[in-house]
Amino acid sequence: MMRTIEVFIVIIIITSAFLISSFYAVLPQPRRVSPLNLRRIALSTLQTLDAGYSLSETVFKDENDSAWEQLQIALSACLPPNLVYNLTVYEVQSGNETELYRYIKSFSNAQDLGVQSDAGAYLVASSNVTFQVTPEKIGEHGGGGTLYILNCSDSNGWWITGYTGQSLAADLYNLLSPYFQNTIMVQTTAQLGQILNGTSLQGETLQNAVVINTVGEAVPIPSGYYASSGVGYDSGHSSYARYCYVLGQKVRTYNWTWASIVGWPFYYVSNTGLFSSSQNSWGIYGMVMVSSYGLQAFLQGLDNQPYSYSTSSTGSPGVVYLSTQAQYYSNYYGIYPSPYQTSTRALPSSIQTDFRLTVSTLIFNPVNNYYAGAVYRHAGTGAFLALGLARTPDIRLTALGLLSYYKPRLYRSEYNATGTSRLVVLQLGQVGGV
Amino acid sequence: MAGSTIDHLISVTIFIGALLLFISLFNQTLQTAVLYQQHRNLAAKCSDLLDSILLTPGVPLDWGKIDSSPIGFGLQDPEFTQYRISPFSLMRLWSSVGEPVYYPDTGKTYSNATAGFGEYLLMPSASAVNYSTVTRLLGINGSYGFQLTMTPIVTVSVSEVQSNPLRIAINATGKGFPLANAEVSYCFLTVSLAGQQSYPSYNVTYGTTSTDETGSALLDFTETNGDEISYALIAYAHISGLVGVGYHQHVTSDTQYVIPFIDNLETGRVLLAHSYDVHFLGTPAAEISYNATFVILTEDFTLREIPLGADRVGNVTYGEGKTVTIPTDNPGILLITYRKSATEGGVVMMPWGLSSMGFSVAFGSDPSGKEWVATDLRQVIVNGVAYQATLALWSLEGYQVIS
Repeated sequence: MMRTIEVFIVIIIITSAFLISSFYAVLPQPRRVSPLNLRRIALSTLQTLDAGYSLSETVFKDENDSAWEQLQIALSACLPPNLVYNLTVYEVQSGNETELYRYIKSFSNAQDLGVQSDAGAYLVASSNVTFQVTPEKIGEHGGGGTLYILNCSDSNGWWITGYTGQSLAADLYNLLSPYFQNTIMVQTTAQLGQILNGTSLQGETLQNAVVINTVGEAVPIPSGYYASSGVGYDSGHSSYARYCYVLGQKVRTYNWTWASIVGWPFYYVSNTGLFSSSQNSWGIYGMVMVSSYGLQAFLQGLDNQPYSYSTSSTGSPGVVYLSTQAQYYSNYYGIYPSPYQTSTRALPSSIQTDFRLTVSTLIFNPVNNYYAGAVYRHAGTGAFLALGLARTPDIRLTALGLLSYYKPRLYRSEYNATGTSRLVVLQLGQVGGV
Repeated sequence: MAGSTIDHLISVTIFIGALLLFISLFNQTLQTAVLYQQHRNLAAKCSDLLDSILLTPGVPLDWGKIDSSPIGFGLQDPEFTQYRISPFSLMRLWSSVGEPVYYPDTGKTYSNATAGFGEYLLMPSASAVNYSTVTRLLGINGSYGFQLTMTPIVTVSVSEVQSNPLRIAINATGKGFPLANAEVSYCFLTVSLAGQQSYPSYNVTYGTTSTDETGSALLDFTETNGDEISYALIAYAHISGLVGVGYHQHVTSDTQYVIPFIDNLETGRVLLAHSYDVHFLGTPAAEISYNATFVILTEDFTLREIPLGADRVGNVTYGEGKTVTIPTDNPGILLITYRKSATEGGVVMMPWGLSSMGFSVAFGSDPSGKEWVATDLRQVIVNGVAYQATLALWSLEGYQVIS
């Protein structure tokens, strides 16, 4: 009998244990077992309402403006019937180190927020706020960072129809100087000769610089040493192709990136003093034709090959389209050239194997093994940006190509101006059911 | 001695019985808790997966605009951040709702996201992204099943309430409330079958109105007899950044007409087929001439026409379709007016990018009959039009721990 009593005592103990554990082991309500992610719904709702900046405009309007009513209608229409909301707007007042959130307005469509609620917050800025974007300087972390823009007053341009080299240089300066540590306008061919000699113009770093030739298919040539026989002049062929060879060598030596903005690179050399009585066979004085030998000689110099007077070739693929990479950086840097252009001087892909070049940045998609726009990186040192487009040049493409190549980051300022930022908090609640 | 043995037997029997009962009770409580935990885990997985789909553009970034299969799945518009969805990626999803269409002239089967007569979206199976591919790309193949639905937040229904003179009603409603006092911009296209040329021509007029407190608006076209002409009306309702689109068309020839099939996404080539080729209604007596145009939605909610090439006009006959090429990457609407005879014709439309006409899409498996389905939703923007993305997710590995 005792054992039976003991068993009953054990049963009572186990029953008590079960009751106590059941009391504390509270299972969640069925609704909470598989909840909607109200926080993300709230955030995505606010983003949807602000897709056309309507929310940003409304929350800065007067409290009695009809736009608030429209916002409430839109919000009610957005959300499923079983979700209730409370939208509250705060003004963000920034102190030295802290931020104060001052209540502005609130509206709701329910007395309470049901069995479950969560909130999403969204910071909007007034339309009259100006945001500052600070670009990272090229060369900031690895040396270089000098941009040379050939703005030689004693050079004429070719295939830059409608522009002068000087006007293009000014535009390039405005576009690109924020991204470089130093931007030097090379004002004369004599200054060009100086940097070719390895002497800086304003104490800038010469090594790893970028040189943009703004005079199109022509290239400025300094008189004197660089135009002399055996240096820049090939007396055997009566050609200045040898000067282009020297340029290629300098690009290799100084690890420059040489940018040709339009047409067939190095097709002419220009110096209005040196060639005052010569013309480029199209009636432009101060310029001498080098023809296709110039490009070939430049690439030979870049690849440290011996100079050989030989021709180069280009292709005419016609309409070409911006590469995906270029489109991405177009959005990133806010530079928007036309996405398709006409190319009649595209470089063949064979130059990659002939001169140990690699396409590191594709500006236009290649067509039939011709590159209408690309930055070629040499296996050793030096790089070459060539835009083989038909005139007229679009220097935005040059800027886009260089920025896509160097990829400087953009640091955007925070929205912390007093009275220009507001915080919108959308609290959602789920009603109905259990 | 015997009493002690009986006592022992009784007590052991009672004890074992009680023990089994309590084990069962405890086990049930524990199993219920485990089950709840698994369901909650499924809900978290559903939310994470939905964000993963909506906040990544996929690989390659522009997979929505090319014909090859993606190697990473995501629907975000690569040109934007946040919950902005590519209308072209959505267009490539194999619709799990519409019956696939077979077109004998190409020998291909097409995913059918068509909304109704005259509103077509037919994507070749080779270009459409199917469910098994996506589950593999998302890494849930064999472990979870899902259905993703994208539906416009604002439903704009357009209907004819009177034919002569033509009176059209527009009704705009959201998910939970009518779109009261919303501005409505509309494009009214009438088809002209007469004229010297054999191709139909069209006339487009634009206008604006606003909805009343119930989200309704009436449009009167006093000089138009709806019984005699073919027309289409596309309406955009918008308020405080919330945009919805609706449409309606009336045709005078609803058996012989033109059906557009997407042929090549990258080049924008669209096949135009005779309806008899698709529905096998018999041999038609007459060829159908057509005149195609492409319109895009501008920021002020008007439609702007993009000129098409010489292939914009032509004739389709039974067994012989034609092609027309859309020359832009922008989303828009391909409007095809067609003419069977001097009195019979009409207009059909095809969105280029899912959102242009506010089409819905359901992609994935059917959740009905599943033991436990977790759902979550997000509000998204698809080329300016507000959509709601809903994901239903269930486990394929089973939960059933209580028989």
